[in-house]
Amino acid sequence: MRLALAVASLVVMVGSGAVVYKETQASWQDHQRAYFAQAKAQAKSDAERASLSVKTPKIEQTIVTAFGTSRVERCESCHIASDDPRFASAEEPLKTHPYSAAMGDTYKDGRWERKHKFSEFGCTSCHDGQGRGLTKADAHGEDEYWPTPMLGYVAQADWKKENAAHLHGAEFIQANCAQCHKDRNFAGTAIVARGRELFFKEGCFGCHRIQGISSGTIGPDLTEVGKERKLDYLWGHIVDPRAYTPTSVMPQFKLSDDDKKALVIFLKSRRGSSPSESSVDQYKVEASNTAPVPDSVAEVATAITAAKTPAERGRQLIEGYACLSCHKLDDHDGGISPDLTHEGLMRDRSWLMSHFQNPRSQITDSNMPTFALPEKDFDDMSAYLMTRTTMPQATTPAQTFQTLCARCHGEKGNGQGPNSIYLDPAPRDLTRAEFMSTKPQLRLITSIHDGVAGTSMPPWGKTLTDAQIQGVLDYVWAAYVKEKPHQIKARKLPDANPVAMSADSIHRGESIFLQRCTGCHGRKADGHGPNSIDITPRPRNLTNTAFVQSVSDRRLFESIEYGVDGTAMPSWIDYGLSQNDVGDIVNFIRSLNKPGK
Amino acid sequence: MSKEQNSIGKSVVDLPANVTRSIFRNPLPSSDRGRAATSFTNFFLHVQPVRVSRQALRPSYTMGLGLISFFLFVILTVTGVLLMFYYVPSTTQAYDRMLDLRSSVVFGVILRNMHRWAAHGMVACVFLHMCRVFFTGSYKPPREFNWVIGVCLFGLTLLSSFTGYLLPWDQLAFWAITVGTSIAGYAPLVGKAIKFILLGDATVGQEALLRFYVLHVVVLPLVLTIFVAVHFWRIRKDGGLAKPETEAAPKRVPVQVEIQEDAVPIAASGSVAVAAPVRKFTIQGLVRGPLIKVGKLEEDTVFSWPNLLIAELVVLLLTIAGVMLVSFFFNAPLEQPVNVMHPPNPAKAPWYFLGLQEQVSYSAFWGGIGVPGIEVLLLLLLPYIDRGKEGVGRWFARQRIFANSIFLFFVLVNIYLIVIGTFFRGANWQFVSPF
Repeated sequence: MRLALAVASLVVMVGSGAVVYKETQASWQDHQRAYFAQAKAQAKSDAERASLSVKTPKIEQTIVTAFGTSRVERCESCHIASDDPRFASAEEPLKTHPYSAAMGDTYKDGRWERKHKFSEFGCTSCHDGQGRGLTKADAHGEDEYWPTPMLGYVAQADWKKENAAHLHGAEFIQANCAQCHKDRNFAGTAIVARGRELFFKEGCFGCHRIQGISSGTIGPDLTEVGKERKLDYLWGHIVDPRAYTPTSVMPQFKLSDDDKKALVIFLKSRRGSSPSESSVDQYKVEASNTAPVPDSVAEVATAITAAKTPAERGRQLIEGYACLSCHKLDDHDGGISPDLTHEGLMRDRSWLMSHFQNPRSQITDSNMPTFALPEKDFDDMSAYLMTRTTMPQATTPAQTFQTLCARCHGEKGNGQGPNSIYLDPAPRDLTRAEFMSTKPQLRLITSIHDGVAGTSMPPWGKTLTDAQIQGVLDYVWAAYVKEKPHQIKARKLPDANPVAMSADSIHRGESIFLQRCTGCHGRKADGHGPNSIDITPRPRNLTNTAFVQSVSDRRLFESIEYGVDGTAMPSWIDYGLSQNDVGDIVNFIRSLNKPGK
Repeated sequence: MSKEQNSIGKSVVDLPANVTRSIFRNPLPSSDRGRAATSFTNFFLHVQPVRVSRQALRPSYTMGLGLISFFLFVILTVTGVLLMFYYVPSTTQAYDRMLDLRSSVVFGVILRNMHRWAAHGMVACVFLHMCRVFFTGSYKPPREFNWVIGVCLFGLTLLSSFTGYLLPWDQLAFWAITVGTSIAGYAPLVGKAIKFILLGDATVGQEALLRFYVLHVVVLPLVLTIFVAVHFWRIRKDGGLAKPETEAAPKRVPVQVEIQEDAVPIAASGSVAVAAPVRKFTIQGLVRGPLIKVGKLEEDTVFSWPNLLIAELVVLLLTIAGVMLVSFFFNAPLEQPVNVMHPPNPAKAPWYFLGLQEQVSYSAFWGGIGVPGIEVLLLLLLPYIDRGKEGVGRWFARQRIFANSIFLFFVLVNIYLIVIGTFFRGANWQFVSPF
């Protein structure tokens, strides 16, 4: 037992020793000793040599109070030579911080004088990082959980490799320069200004709000995004919005790497309150920005007023502003939203205007934001779009399908074209023979000719000739459906709802709906019931007024009573619904979509 | 008494001796009487018996588990108090303080590591201690109530660990507590109320952090300390650690003890024992009943001083060494700061509740409340259900094979569930292989 006691005591002593050693031995001491030795070798006077030889390592600490909450910085414990010009060519961490005339440093009488003195600015107000840290990993913020790693210098452990490669470079520090240098024309923050420009050109402002800059509401508020997110997230989210947030509805924009970087740096500079301004300044900015149109949008608008005609001005707006980040126009394809090339043949001016003012007034589940632009801009843009009346060149039906239809319906006709994920309802899967072959030819022709109201399927009647439409449909049949049309047995269906519209009927319809339909169509009848995620095509949104109004009672009765072949909609006759029950449901659905709503 | 003896000079000379004597009522013992006196004249030692059975000292019998649990509690108290100097229970500051502890506070890392690992260790050791007590049948009369106290202590330990889990205010903490308190919410009738009282809100937030902090640093340690005190006191009053009954049934001897004051060491000459004034004490009727085996001094005992003390010291040092070594090589986890919008998938409770969470994944009520409730009730009632008197004080006694098998089954099932929950559950609580 006594032996055990001796051994245990020894282990505890050794352990304590190891802990104390680990806690007190630090690399910054070695760096300082190296600095003292090298400085001594370069010393010019004996007095300097003597003073250096008695120096012992100690923590060099600066407390920076000028920028918001006071920062404790111990960076110079390792970077002890950062202000000693003799170490300009030394290795880090003993390297002199470069002097730069561009940053305002002045060279006078053989000496550099810094504009941003370390004693005043510290290090982290420009570089980020963790000022208190005394090891490299801690101080530089290499640890994956430190919220502000050194900008453009550190890639944290959990950053994606392909992102990290782009996130290196001194230019990222501009995000911090912009905290104080807010002037958009300031030379030192050119990339931030470029990012801001892109924020408007690429349409970001349509969905995102940044206090004092934009007022979008679809996406998250980006006012403080630079404080909340690291470079890795910002870059990765722009490259692939669903990489970090699988449910994100943000489109994947086509941007060059330089543009992405400018956007990331701009976003990183959005930190809400900047350390250089007080909360009163903040309030003043907020109070002065009550105008519905952000100042920069107005600024752009004035730049474009030079255009002679409204249509010309509209063209400049559409081509220079936001629209083509998503839409296709001639050869420019944003890859997200419908083709505007033949828009003048598809829509009329009032449709365009009301769609600009609120896209969801025409297409209930559209992902297009309402851009905070002045009415005049919408007018001009509509004017330009109405001039887009060139018919496509007549080619074979196959080519017509591939140029006009495949963007949404896919090259293989399976409804999975490149922009299909942004469309709701999704483009029809034309290879689903069970659906296609049970629908009358006339309905299919009508869908192409007149479009499908409330969806992104536009009317092609003026863009294509009737012969071309029939050709495309034949092509679809031969290439994708590959099945003969079924002969449907004559069904007993009313042409108009036999049940009179009344509050009682609506009430009965609602209670049947709540019992039978909400699993797929949802309690709000918006097509988002709990089963809807497992079903393709997705259940119809029954609050899509434009669509519901375009559908006849007869079709509603047929869909409910006999189901829709090729979809998950079952035949409700088989589940005991009577004609009157269906009539009540139809009345309920109609009541959700009152005309003029 | 002469005047010289009262002189200042003599006071000075005698000062060290006087101070020592005023503190320690006994000099280092050299005789059995001295050893006995040391034990009962010292506040810290009087909780221990004067003599202790050899069986209780055998490492293979107790494995020191109860003592290790206690020492871990001491380590937790010391490191915890030191950590309190740096910690602020505020949602805006707590995580920053963790980062400070990790990078800027001297000994911050080791303190936090020791606190974390000692906490996990304590949960494990208290559980193993309970298993030891069961498998050696040590909860039999007269120790029934001490078993009940022990079960309460196990619960308190879990609660202490659980409340401490939230304090770093990182993702791990936030979601573990979210899951843990949700399990509490499944209880019928009172579940929602308990959840609300714990959180002070509908979700985990500032109120919950403050409540968990107060529970963790004040309420639970205080209650735990009181229960530990009672637990120790009962061990003494119940006659020390359980030991096998000797062959012969104890005779009901009248309670009568003689304590002889051996004024001078008796010469081993074998001649007539000449004693200076011998005083005789007779204790009659002070203690009776089965509580203390008075008058039946077993032969197989040794003095606590120094045998028990050294054993305890070894356990203490080994415990410290163990915690320190683990803390030296493994850092306590710290994840991202709380992000309410991004739950990790899966969000897991602390490991000791993962068995529960695994059960909950089958049935919220039965897994989270029903089965564990029955288990706890059975544990509490155990000594009143199992009245067999045989097989006390021996590991896996043949006479207790039925009880031991049932208990072992429960232990293995719970460990199995914890292992499954910890290593084999991935996103959406799907079964995944950890390899």
